[in-house]
Amino acid sequence: MKIINNISLMGYDGVLTEGHLSDEMTQIVVPENSSFSGNILHVSGDIHLKVILDGENSNFDIRIIYLSNKNSKNSIKVEVLHKHKNTTSSYIIRGILADSSEMVLDGIIRIPKDSQKCDGYLNHRAVLLSDNAKVKATPELEIYADDVKCSHGSAVGALDENLLFYLMSRGIDAEEGKRLLLKSFLSDSLADSFEMYIDEWMDKNV
Amino acid sequence: MAFLEIKNLCARVENKEILKDFSLTINEGEVHAIMGPNGSGKSTLSNVIAGHPAYEITAGSITFKGKDLLAMRADERANSGVFLAFQYPTELPGVGTALFFKTAINAKRKFLGLPDLDAVQFMKRLKMRATALGITDEMLKRPVNVGFSGGEKKKMETFQMAFLEPDFCILDEMDSGLDIDALKVVSNGVNIMREPHRSFLLITHYQRLLDYIVPDFIHIMVNGKIVESGDKTLALHLEEKGYENYK
Repeated sequence: MKIINNISLMGYDGVLTEGHLSDEMTQIVVPENSSFSGNILHVSGDIHLKVILDGENSNFDIRIIYLSNKNSKNSIKVEVLHKHKNTTSSYIIRGILADSSEMVLDGIIRIPKDSQKCDGYLNHRAVLLSDNAKVKATPELEIYADDVKCSHGSAVGALDENLLFYLMSRGIDAEEGKRLLLKSFLSDSLADSFEMYIDEWMDKNV
Repeated sequence: MAFLEIKNLCARVENKEILKDFSLTINEGEVHAIMGPNGSGKSTLSNVIAGHPAYEITAGSITFKGKDLLAMRADERANSGVFLAFQYPTELPGVGTALFFKTAINAKRKFLGLPDLDAVQFMKRLKMRATALGITDEMLKRPVNVGFSGGEKKKMETFQMAFLEPDFCILDEMDSGLDIDALKVVSNGVNIMREPHRSFLLITHYQRLLDYIVPDFIHIMVNGKIVESGDKTLALHLEEKGYENYK
């Protein structure tokens, strides 16, 4: 199996800048016996990403982190079409929202009738740092094949008070404690290349 | 001046009164144990002393080394020398154990006006105490408490305590979920920390723990307050007769 591509897209370096992809769609086509893997850091704008698994034994996994602040209103739409059998997909999406920012997240996994033995995964979790931040998440499955494995889920909430208390009971102040918890929260979707940017963002927003 | 003085403390969570006119005085170097049935308010007491924000104090006071503890945030209490070993320690995926320890010790040093430990000093301090408690290098490399058994988590709590060198240690149900070997290791970790300037509060359901960490005083807590106090023999009576007599 060959790895055909590996992207690291960041919202601030011109690849996914504000508004840049709002009307267009970024489409990634993965041919048979190929894998695609990528990380996206999204800080502003609307993005629409569609992956087509275009041959048998094609796979992809994408990890998206989004960070929202001030009164920004952004959207992320992700889709995957399992066009062939024996294909796998994974979207892991983690968001942190500060101030009165809003995010609309749509995710859909499509598996047509003849695409048996597919595995689709879409998981979204977001942390709200303020009572005024909002997320509207709509994960969907559209499955017509009968022998597939597919799951999706979404969870949004404030930082766990009990976790923060654990850190504070060790002498760590609330701000540093929140940063550690947020890093922990992002740990399953974090690419090393994003770390510095995320640290800077936290300095300003946590 | 008492080391820790809790006076007529009333506390509630979600509008439910849990501590009702609770008083307790602990002097320097003493080991106290609080025993009581489930729901008597033992864990609430430890959370209230350590400063959990979910509990509302409706009356009473806690002074620690002459300072008003209730006026301090949880991190200030910790840096002033209060330590709570949790019944259910938290897992922190993605946060390395060593980083966690370093963040905690340097927060305390900053509070005390001391410079950060450098990498060499830090590793030396970490390794020295790890060996005594059977904490392996492999455990230190893992994220905090992730994938640890119940016994390993309790060892890690004791290790944190030994590392941070607090003056007042609360151990909440330290014995729950421990097999006898782990109980011995953890108890030994506590016993070697017993010193004239350091006090302990053991919260426990069973007498078993007190065979290994022998307290100076035992208090029976029922329905939010202490109903009887005595020396270590009180636990033996309790083992025989249970909590029924106090209800």
